[in-house]
Amino acid sequence: MTISHHPPDDLLAGYAAGTLDEAEHLVVGVHLSGCAHCRRFVQALEHLAGATLETSVAAPMAKDAFAAVMARIERAPKPAAPPPAPVPADPELAGLPESLRRLQIGPRRRVAPGLSMRPIQLTARATSRAFLLRAEPGVKMLDHSHSGTELTCVLEGSFSHRGGRFGPGDFDYGDDDVDHDVTVGDEGPCLCIVAMTGDLRMHGLLGRLISPFVRL
Amino acid sequence: MIAGLKTAATTPGSTLALVRPPAALVTGASRTRAHGTGLNRSGPAKRSKAAVDWALVIGRVAQGDRAAFGALFEHFAPRIKGFLIRTGSSPDEAEEIAQTAMVAVWTKATQFDPGSAGPAAWIFTIARNLRIDAARRRARDGRLDNAVGQDAETDPDWSAEAIVTRVEDTSRVAAAIEKLSAEQCAVIRLSFIEERSHSDIAATLGLPLGTVKSRIRLAMNRLRELLDEPT
Repeated sequence: MTISHHPPDDLLAGYAAGTLDEAEHLVVGVHLSGCAHCRRFVQALEHLAGATLETSVAAPMAKDAFAAVMARIERAPKPAAPPPAPVPADPELAGLPESLRRLQIGPRRRVAPGLSMRPIQLTARATSRAFLLRAEPGVKMLDHSHSGTELTCVLEGSFSHRGGRFGPGDFDYGDDDVDHDVTVGDEGPCLCIVAMTGDLRMHGLLGRLISPFVRL
Repeated sequence: MIAGLKTAATTPGSTLALVRPPAALVTGASRTRAHGTGLNRSGPAKRSKAAVDWALVIGRVAQGDRAAFGALFEHFAPRIKGFLIRTGSSPDEAEEIAQTAMVAVWTKATQFDPGSAGPAAWIFTIARNLRIDAARRRARDGRLDNAVGQDAETDPDWSAEAIVTRVEDTSRVAAAIEKLSAEQCAVIRLSFIEERSHSDIAATLGLPLGTVKSRIRLAMNRLRELLDEPT
């Protein structure tokens, strides 16, 4: 798979530092699982983070901290590596990257003709949402813009907009300034994972009909 | 350095070798302060702080060496706690995460790859993931619907295929970091790892705000270039 669209540097840095919100972390992680180029970048930032940890000013631990840690180690025998995530019976979910198969993914909801979504249950506060978005071949999505940010990673199929063509592994980043006018590729359905913060503002009647669904 | 490590690591019973870390990793904005208490209590030799090869220590921990674990704990636990407080955790949460991170260091020590990004980076990622998990738990406990199952381990470490690539990439990443200037390392660390504001960084480094912004951008671009260079 040839990946030509990557997350901006600050999102990769946020991933490395562990400061992204949960939905964003998830979507950037899906891109990383397929993109050696960005993995190297994240790894380099982790390297620098290690150097930062190494030179951090120490904060004294509680007096009994070491004893407490040793007691926990005694109680818990060395675990084997965690078992791989079970392959879900649902064929759509079975094809997902392993990081997504561990998640709780809700039932499909129809959003508009040719467009449906499955919410991904997150544990964090509702400052962001994540969902799988499925669009049938050839569908045109409405012009829309955001009051927040939208992060998308393509899992299957493709879509195109002014910014280019986005295929599997490609990462699309939209914020306030971006108007999307999206066409789904003809080769098959397009499945994406999307993280969204803020509200989606749709232009036109259909957009206003979609909004209640997207605003989870 | 990596070749030297491997040689040393395969020598059974060797005392902890003294290997200087790469220059790029000790030339940050703030140098280690002296906190020498107790590190030598369980170790056979007197060690200077900057020169301990923690990769070898983790190798010993993987074999169940408690004295080595004690040294690792004394060095890293307070630094994890300090780092977490510096980047926004409460002291109680930082203490808890630092302890849990050290338990994880013990249980995962056999998975540590001496050729990887390095012991401090490895320990950092463990602590980072625990902090993400802690935030999730807090958020979930605050919610009424408790439908989510057990914690998915944060950071799936990507796929098996990806791990292979990671190992192949390690030398390239290390080489890139070596070539990055100390100043470029410093601005990336301050901005993205410590998450300090641009104006705070400007004050720390005594630079105009505009200069800080352009330096951060140039440093990130330079890192990208170095990572893309064929090895």
